[in-house]
Amino acid sequence: MQGLPTVFLIVTFNFFLLHLAPGDPASVMAGEAGAATPEYMAQLRAQFGLDQPLLMQYLRYVWNVLTLDFGYSFRYQESNLSLIMGRMGATLLLAGSSILLSVGLGTLLGLIAAMRRDRIEAALILLVTVLAYASPIFWLGLMFIVIFAIQLGWVPTSGMTTAGGAGAGAAHWLDVAHHLILPAITLSLFYMALYTRLMRASVLENLRMNYVTTARAKGVAPRRLVLRHVLRNAVLPIVTMAGVQVGGALGGSVVVEAVFGWPGLGQLAFEALFARDLNLLLGILTLSSVVVVLANLLVDLVHSIIDPRVALS
Amino acid sequence: MLRRQLMGSLPAIGGAASSLAGAGTARAQQGRGNTLVVVTTPEPTVLTNAINSAPSVAELATKIYDGLLEYDMGMQPVPSLAESWEVSGDGKSVTFRLRQGVTWHDGQPFTSADVAFSLLEVVKKFHPRGPGNLGPLEAVDTPDTHTAILRLAHPYPPMMKGLSSMECPIVAKHLYEGTDIRNNPANNRPIGTGPFKFAEWNRGSSIVLEKNPNYWRPGRPYLDRLIFRFINDPATRAAALESGEVDVAFFGTINPAEMRRLAGLPSIEIAQGGYEALAPVMLLELNTRKAPLDDKRVRQALAYAIDRKFIVDNIWYGFGKPAVGPISSVYAPSGLYTNDVLRYDVPDRVARANALLDQAGLRRGAGGIRFEITQDVGPYGDDYRRMGEYMRQAYNRIGVRLNLRTVDQATYVRRVYGEYDFDMTSGWYVGMGDPTLGVQRQYVSSNIRQGIPFNNVARYSDPENDRLWADAAVETDATKRGRIFQAIQRKLVEDSPIIWIMEMELVALQNKRVKNLITTALGVRGGLYDTRLEG
Repeated sequence: MQGLPTVFLIVTFNFFLLHLAPGDPASVMAGEAGAATPEYMAQLRAQFGLDQPLLMQYLRYVWNVLTLDFGYSFRYQESNLSLIMGRMGATLLLAGSSILLSVGLGTLLGLIAAMRRDRIEAALILLVTVLAYASPIFWLGLMFIVIFAIQLGWVPTSGMTTAGGAGAGAAHWLDVAHHLILPAITLSLFYMALYTRLMRASVLENLRMNYVTTARAKGVAPRRLVLRHVLRNAVLPIVTMAGVQVGGALGGSVVVEAVFGWPGLGQLAFEALFARDLNLLLGILTLSSVVVVLANLLVDLVHSIIDPRVALS
Repeated sequence: MLRRQLMGSLPAIGGAASSLAGAGTARAQQGRGNTLVVVTTPEPTVLTNAINSAPSVAELATKIYDGLLEYDMGMQPVPSLAESWEVSGDGKSVTFRLRQGVTWHDGQPFTSADVAFSLLEVVKKFHPRGPGNLGPLEAVDTPDTHTAILRLAHPYPPMMKGLSSMECPIVAKHLYEGTDIRNNPANNRPIGTGPFKFAEWNRGSSIVLEKNPNYWRPGRPYLDRLIFRFINDPATRAAALESGEVDVAFFGTINPAEMRRLAGLPSIEIAQGGYEALAPVMLLELNTRKAPLDDKRVRQALAYAIDRKFIVDNIWYGFGKPAVGPISSVYAPSGLYTNDVLRYDVPDRVARANALLDQAGLRRGAGGIRFEITQDVGPYGDDYRRMGEYMRQAYNRIGVRLNLRTVDQATYVRRVYGEYDFDMTSGWYVGMGDPTLGVQRQYVSSNIRQGIPFNNVARYSDPENDRLWADAAVETDATKRGRIFQAIQRKLVEDSPIIWIMEMELVALQNKRVKNLITTALGVRGGLYDTRLEG
């Protein structure tokens, strides 16, 4: 149960870190407006409550978080919680599908690369992983857009739904899935490469273990040996890594969301940072940290199911 | 389907790739019906431009709200909510006859009370340019429901150029009266009288506007729906235009180099014009209170050293023309522009710059360097950084070392306008419908206001210049007013508190199936009620 203090430390750290940034939301809004008068600046500053001492602002913020009140964004004239929740679904959909994709494909490719390690398949898989691992994510995204959206016209360039709506119900979800393909693949490639390599090493290591020799001596069929014994042991490091990826996927989604115009939290955080809308940004970071902490709890749980030796205390 | 088959059967233009792209384009436009999709950036923060003058807000809200007037391509007023108008002989009152039978999107009737309330209680108090546009406005008399008489403290001709939906949108009194105007819920669920009604806002991706079936212009708008899409990455915005997912990309959404490439595609073209009501000028503000920039000769030398034509052609890919002074040539039809000023674009400009710096006593030292200054690059895109890089080379030739500093907008506003911690900064200003409305703010000493962005940050102060601007604001005789502005231009160019680089051409890119995108001086910041889709 280290979850709560972790979230509290994150809140405190974020608060003071963000207040180190120079400039305030009033100056940004005036900057965007292209014109300003002293009255306009004073109106904005009063609205944002920028006149209080920092410690007071901090204590009030902690109290608000404890009471699940994330405040009101004067910039967007909407409550921070509803702004964040409006975007959370898109981000979780993107991050979730990319994690599933990378874990699934990475495990499969790693297994193949290990089992056929002297064959051409393994060499090809390793080549692809090096490329996926080394290519900048935004560049990959743009190349995918050029090839699959502009040249081939198979998928849309950007967005989460067709502008103007594709319909309701199943048509809507098909539309979303159609839009999800490129960003999910782009976001998953880096981790897929990582998992492939991790899985390959893990399978090779397990194949040398005594229990494998024992099983072989007992006459377990090779296919059953791999699927039943080796896979289960070899996949443990992948599950651990997947916990780390949740944080990475939320961070990486800032870039992918920007490239694909995906209306998620990453874009909102990016705008909030540059607009110095600190309460909104704090809300995003706090809720994201809750998601990451919860995801790690889930990973621990999965771990204990796969490997009964790991017990939840 | 028909369109797709037609495009598929066309002989491939330039190989298989382009016929494939054609199929993609047709597919992207399928099923949209009579809907125009626009890509713009950034996403607006609120949807009412009566309280916020950010360009992204105006681009959207001008479809929902009307103004009293519109302006033709020569910036002459034409009717909108006002059918006719009359300026009194002493110039201190303007009578507007308002259109009858106009209703708000919620069905309430539009009356002169809405006009009085919008101008006095909303725009003048809350719009960042309200005090400039409506400065001497003291009262609005409403003798009947379709007459509004604007009473001014003194004659103020520029006001007649600032009554568009972009500058003075008319909002509904019944929604705003007695409320906290800045936090009114109607700011994000706008109700106007304009050609389009607000339908939905999917934050982070799009805003959907629907045709106002009761719009007062008969048979307009042509479009059933108007959708604004928001995409953060400029390369993806270009891709969306190329694939046909969006029909129009506003200026600033696509990099100039990419704009030239896209405009060369068979399906895309440049929508000419539509920035006359903004009169934007790109420029460099100098800190005239800091040595050596407090010396006029040094400022002139820095102005001579730059090749404006090179910047226009190579950094902005020709989307503009070299500026000769503070006032854009788009004011020429109104008789307010002259190019008969001290010219910094002469052939021997580098030699002149060196001579001026020698006269100022700034001799070349070690490495041929006379002095070193820093340019704070305006936070408006990569083009400004590239311009800074060109200028570093240009200034090397006159022995001035230029350092570039790039920060985000919040830091920039604090540093430049809040702390005057700069030597030279790049940026762009809009002159609006009249120089008194948009240009004056950078040059009069009453507008030296620390901490307030976009004012006289050069801290240029000259009594004769101040007097000329004061005269220009109240002069009702057009010829005399033109002469005052010529004197202002000559004086400012001579004193060189700011280096004017380029008159910007804020053009949009459009799919060729879009017709009548630009019909007024407001361009894409107009109502788009005449815009149509073909094919």
